[in-house]
Amino acid sequence: MLNKRIIAVIKRELREKLVSKTFIFMTVLFPVLIFGMVGIQALIFTDSGNDKIDIVSETGKLTESFQKELLSSDLMKDGKTSLTFFTMNQDELKDFLDKRKKEMLDNKITGVVYIPEAAMKNKRIEYYSQTPNNMNLTRKLEGPLNKVLIDNYFGNKSLSKEDLDFARKGIDFSGYKVSKENQIKEEGYGSLVLSYIFTFLLYISLLLTGQLMLQSVIEEKSNRIVEVVLSSVSPREMMTGKILGSALTALIQMSIWLAAIVAVTSSAIVALPPDFAVNITAVQVIFLLTNFGVGLILFLSLFGMMGAIFDNPQDAQSGMWPVMMLIIIPFLIAISMMQNPNSPIANITALLPFTSVMVMPVKMTLIEVPLWQLGFSILVNIATIFLVFPIAGKIYRIGILRTGKKPKWSEVVKWLKYKY
Amino acid sequence: MYTLEVKNLTKNFNGLIAVDHASFEVPEGSIFGLIGRNGAGKTTTIRMMMNIYLPDEGEVVLRGVKIGQEFKNQVGYLPEERGLYKKMKVLETLLYFAELKGKTGRDVQKKAEYYLNRFELYDRRLSKVEDLSKGNQQKLQFITTILHDPEFIILDEPFSGLDPVNTNLLKDIILEMKQRGKVIIFSTHLMDFAEKLCDHIVMIDHGRIILKGSLEEIKSKYGQRNVSLTHGGDISFLKGNPIVEKIEDFGNSTGIRVKEAGQTQELLKLLVENNIPVKKFDANEISLHEVFIELAGNEEGPAASSAAGIKEARYA
Repeated sequence: MLNKRIIAVIKRELREKLVSKTFIFMTVLFPVLIFGMVGIQALIFTDSGNDKIDIVSETGKLTESFQKELLSSDLMKDGKTSLTFFTMNQDELKDFLDKRKKEMLDNKITGVVYIPEAAMKNKRIEYYSQTPNNMNLTRKLEGPLNKVLIDNYFGNKSLSKEDLDFARKGIDFSGYKVSKENQIKEEGYGSLVLSYIFTFLLYISLLLTGQLMLQSVIEEKSNRIVEVVLSSVSPREMMTGKILGSALTALIQMSIWLAAIVAVTSSAIVALPPDFAVNITAVQVIFLLTNFGVGLILFLSLFGMMGAIFDNPQDAQSGMWPVMMLIIIPFLIAISMMQNPNSPIANITALLPFTSVMVMPVKMTLIEVPLWQLGFSILVNIATIFLVFPIAGKIYRIGILRTGKKPKWSEVVKWLKYKY
Repeated sequence: MYTLEVKNLTKNFNGLIAVDHASFEVPEGSIFGLIGRNGAGKTTTIRMMMNIYLPDEGEVVLRGVKIGQEFKNQVGYLPEERGLYKKMKVLETLLYFAELKGKTGRDVQKKAEYYLNRFELYDRRLSKVEDLSKGNQQKLQFITTILHDPEFIILDEPFSGLDPVNTNLLKDIILEMKQRGKVIIFSTHLMDFAEKLCDHIVMIDHGRIILKGSLEEIKSKYGQRNVSLTHGGDISFLKGNPIVEKIEDFGNSTGIRVKEAGQTQELLKLLVENNIPVKKFDANEISLHEVFIELAGNEEGPAASSAAGIKEARYA
């Protein structure tokens, strides 16, 4: 099937694409972007630095119990947080805040927590800071503060220690990933991060490779190179060579991306919190690349066909939407799967041609997918190639030598009946 | 001895017949011209010969075997619409097109360098094609056509869009290839070029072959009653003369056809008797253009408009 001429075309495509600025730029830029995103997320969820917080209570009794509770809480363990305790009423607080304002703006102290006496009844606590919505900090303070308030509230009532302990306790959600493996593993957000990464990598790569294919076919057509090439090779050889060349380029790029991700997540370059540890398996990588390779051939035959129909990029863009939908819809499904990887639409589209190229690899990062389904999605795509390729080849053969006005879709359908 | 035989080629696009049962033979070692006006079916015929279009009917036979990929490998083809990869380098372009023909390695590289030197492009061998002037791009395209040392050279409207320097260059290449025993087939609507270069021609009009044969034969056959005349004075008195069948003014010269083959001397006598200063009197001489007009009619009129229809169809 692969003869010397096809290989020559493939080699030219590779030479042209692998050294192109777009390719190098995207290959380098994308991992940087991804790690930037992951890094920022990790930063948000880790301690940003030293926090200096003033804990102000309305009564001396409260101050004493907060001091006792907070100083022995988990909060103080990392040594990055320093707390100062004050007792004052509402009026004094006003003056105090005025004085503290400048220090807060200069980042000398992080914030002021004020616990009024009324909090004993309604649990309303005030937090003054430049960044009052710092969830990370309030989440950490919440537990110990709540404990003190509960102790104070119930302390006067006759409750057993067990009752008190229960009331004090917050709810602790632990996620467990259920899979076929014998062990049920505690699951962090790592698989979610991975599904994000896969979705974006596949989406960007399909769009980029498709666009480049489209442009390259249009260039050959509008620069009249095609007839010179066709005097040596058949249209089918030319199209096959171009598709395989582009697919190889995209696969090389995807492999570089995946290798970078594996290298970074498995080493200590970026110290992700344990909750976000990304764990990529060999099966995932092999499946993603195989399925992507097959999917590329499928998508690129459509992009090549579209390029042959149109004379210029403007016309092509307007005619491209059906193919673009085949990329955008699975992208949206893949994103929505992060909420519910078992939704019926995800289950169906993971097995359909075109959509499975993106949906299936993302799905398998989120939940266990039976092996037969993985095989099935690849086979369905291969079967679709055998269906699409002859049609795309025919339209390519006719369209590529045709110039003049933009054809109507009905004309394109007629081309299929031509004997060329 | 014929190398290539075109048998009964027919192609229609969407019901419009572009080439209608065309048959002709290309003799060994000749320069063969495919002549006709724009839209007559020349490009479609050539594309079918190149196996770029599949014919509806008929076939092209190379020394007894139906053409296929082996033929493509032996052809250097210069299409009417020429193009190169703009971002590729000059030498790289040459090697790529040679590779498509199955030629790789040191020999091709040497040969590419030889031609680049000869066409004064050697200094530009590492430049991108887009940085070359249009004339230099045309030269590069010529080299891609002949670099793999083809047996056949097929040129579709080769002289269109060439500057005078490149026109001469291409003529030299064609003649050199002929000397080396190659078969050159070219299509043109420029009768002058065909007349100067071709040994054999085929005339095609509305997709049909209207004339074929060696240029010599054709000229003597159609020229017997023809006189090409360059003169001063007024020759309008010839109109209505019983021995004159037709007078056609070509600007610099006038074509006159007499009714019978022996009457050309009579015509000369008539001119002298009427004191017409005869500068040139060429009996038995006819230009291809005249032959074409005689066979296909003038370009104006219904014939021309339906020819335009076929031009459209060709691209359909």
